[in-house]
Amino acid sequence: MKSIFSPRRRIALLAVALLLFPVVFSGAFARDIGVAFLLAAISASAWNIVGGYAGQVSVGHSMFFGIGAYMPLLFYSLFGWSPIAGIPVGIVLSIALAVVIGMPTFRLTGHYFSMATIAVAELIRIFVGTWDFVGAAVGLQGPATARGWWDLTFRSELPYYYIFLAVLGIVLATTAFIERRRFGFYLRAIKASERAARSLGVPVRRTKMQALALSAAFTSVAGSLYAAKTGFIDPDSGFGILVSVQMVIVAALGGAGMLFGPLLGALILIPLQIATNTWFGGGGSGLTYILYGGIIVVIARFEPGGLFELWYRVVPERWRRAYAT
Amino acid sequence: MLLDAKNVSKAFGSFLAVSGADLAVDEHEIIGLIGPNGAGKSTFFNCLAGETMPTTGRIVFAGEDVTRAGPAVHARAGIGRTFQVPITFEDMTVLENVMVGAFLRRPHRNDARDHARRIVELTGLQPEQRPRSLGTPGRKRLEIARVLATDPRLLLLDESLAGLTPTELQAAIALVRRIHDMGITIVIVEHIMEVIMTLTKRVLVFNQGHVIASGTPESVVRQDAVIEAYLGRAHRRQQDQKSV
Amino acid sequence: MVAVQVIVGGLLLGAIYALFSSGLTLIWGMMNFINFAHGEFVMLGMYAALMVVVWIGGGPAIFAIAAAVALAALGVAIYFSLIRHVTRGPMLAQILSTFGLALLLRYTAFWIFSANFVSLPQNAMSGTVNLGGIYLPIAQLVAGLVAITLTVALHLLLTRTTVGSKLLAVAEDRTAAMLMGIRPDRMQALAWGLSAGAAGIAGALMATSYPWSPSVGETFGLIAFVVVALGGFGSVLGSLYAGLIIGLIQSASAFWLGAIYKDIVVYGLFVALLWLRPQGLMGKT
Repeated sequence: MKSIFSPRRRIALLAVALLLFPVVFSGAFARDIGVAFLLAAISASAWNIVGGYAGQVSVGHSMFFGIGAYMPLLFYSLFGWSPIAGIPVGIVLSIALAVVIGMPTFRLTGHYFSMATIAVAELIRIFVGTWDFVGAAVGLQGPATARGWWDLTFRSELPYYYIFLAVLGIVLATTAFIERRRFGFYLRAIKASERAARSLGVPVRRTKMQALALSAAFTSVAGSLYAAKTGFIDPDSGFGILVSVQMVIVAALGGAGMLFGPLLGALILIPLQIATNTWFGGGGSGLTYILYGGIIVVIARFEPGGLFELWYRVVPERWRRAYAT
Repeated sequence: MLLDAKNVSKAFGSFLAVSGADLAVDEHEIIGLIGPNGAGKSTFFNCLAGETMPTTGRIVFAGEDVTRAGPAVHARAGIGRTFQVPITFEDMTVLENVMVGAFLRRPHRNDARDHARRIVELTGLQPEQRPRSLGTPGRKRLEIARVLATDPRLLLLDESLAGLTPTELQAAIALVRRIHDMGITIVIVEHIMEVIMTLTKRVLVFNQGHVIASGTPESVVRQDAVIEAYLGRAHRRQQDQKSV
Repeated sequence: MVAVQVIVGGLLLGAIYALFSSGLTLIWGMMNFINFAHGEFVMLGMYAALMVVVWIGGGPAIFAIAAAVALAALGVAIYFSLIRHVTRGPMLAQILSTFGLALLLRYTAFWIFSANFVSLPQNAMSGTVNLGGIYLPIAQLVAGLVAITLTVALHLLLTRTTVGSKLLAVAEDRTAAMLMGIRPDRMQALAWGLSAGAAGIAGALMATSYPWSPSVGETFGLIAFVVVALGGFGSVLGSLYAGLIIGLIQSASAFWLGAIYKDIVVYGLFVALLWLRPQGLMGKT
């Protein structure tokens, strides 16, 4: 039975739905969720490149997010420049940090890398919290009122929504591009077995490094977007472990290593998070993280491939990875 | 000479796994490495593949000194290998698995895919299958296909024919012959005598880290040292007594 | 004099670090597996001690043993329900399993106990003792000495007893051990029990001297990583030396640089170790 829902059509449908969402649902609350969804999808998709595809599980990705969030606001606080100026700086610094972490740990087993990511993220968080230059524990603020569009300070959620959507499009397009080409195949081979990959001539260490650098760059952009939207950053909201956790769980729930896995994960988790926060009020965030922890354990135990994998297992004819070969 | 391994030794702490092993392979030969378990042939094999770095000795391949190089460098130089327990990429199709190999010499996707398709067909596999539905013989075949796609000049087969039914074994032997006909030099580690006898022209016998015998398969299995290695001293004494 | 105080205090704290880190290194040595929830085991040991004191009013010996037993049981339960299923799976599953567990335990503790810092009520070990001019809280002294003893005992258990050699056999070569009649599953469960038990009792010992909240698990987890990295992944004796060193470094940094820096120095050391000497002081790569 030839479905009218070919992969191209489905993607087009998704794109249209995302484009029209804030037009159809024009209330502030709906748009808020939309923006939160997009941001979560962007960060998780960025993480997905190194964590999902290459299988290098970073549990400290907040370090890149935080750098990307602090730079724009730092440039504004120090020089009064547009936050946009900080975005490329954030990217460069994040890539540099990625190299520093990847170099020693990528020659060791995966656990070292994961441990290093937690340690470095924590190190940076505590350090930033003591450094007055970047606002110490108080943090930094962005422009209160916009001097122009370049301050990225909009009163309505709408411009943010479309900017975020554009960035998401770029991240996904890049991932799709990689997926079909040698780099993507090498990432998946590395995830499956580094030993076998090496025996086939795959430059394992270099490939992992490139994946981490790319992932770090995109994560930094996500952080910059966050800072632009909220107009505020502090050590916890930038470098906190919960930032890292969210990226991981959003990607893993939907399907780590799959193009739309993070999107699916965000689609489920963002409304869930908002719901639990609303229902349980102040103590709600604690419950949310108990739930997150539980979900992660269940995913690890029963379906590491996430919901997409579960779907594919239950519906075997759909196994065709139509856009991979 | 395609491969020249001289005086290769490998020590793990105080344990000498391989000691002073030499192997010279000319283009287009098929060589067998045999010996009891723990004799050092796997370690030697891993040295040739670049996975283990020899403690002493030199390994020169096609004029290039690869002694200290890792597996990826060996692969790029033209040495391919399979694993004793096949390591296939479970989350990829057969075709995708082979494409990973093909990408070594063909960076562009379409070239890699076309080359991989040819190899998949040559080895009698189905491109869209998943490794998990293949079973061990299928996985071994997939590993061979995948490494073939890297266009190796020398193929190191690590017990790739073990655990097969008689029919599968014949098919596998035929495949190895076809690979050899393509011009690829082969070094094969094996326990199965039939494989050694029918396929290889020259055999090295390992025992306790040393090469104790080398020559044609027929001559090697008759040598006392070899019999002793496999069956022990007592059996050799029995043989001696019988011939008195 | 103050310097000596700082040093001794650091060593005593370090002894406790050594104890719980030896549990982490044991698991690594056995199964090439890092338990990201190990710090939470220590934290739970502290709360277990508190609960025993509050409900039963037991003394240090009682709550320490109770914490050890409770956590050991938890460790075994976690092995059978979770760990056993992920060790032979993809890396993602392995890392997420204990990482998720850490979150689960930490935030459940936040929910049950709230984020307030607590400490044990006065007990038999309160008060200070004067040792040649240095004033040491009795609790710290006893806790440190007990911790060292237990760590050494664990090392001896692994190297001198039959059970220990069985554990090491499984660590060395699982298949070979199976062929020798040892059941790897049981040994690994035992290792998890020992590991969690060590963490639990270390927590109880820690609780006698320091206030805590559910947030300490994260810190202890990272300290355990550093100790294990420094002492060598898989070496209990290495953990002992490294633990003492780390305790010393922390105490010294807190005193001379300021309390905020004590963690920075330790995490920084970890990153430096990964860069320069991942096999640590005494371990195998």
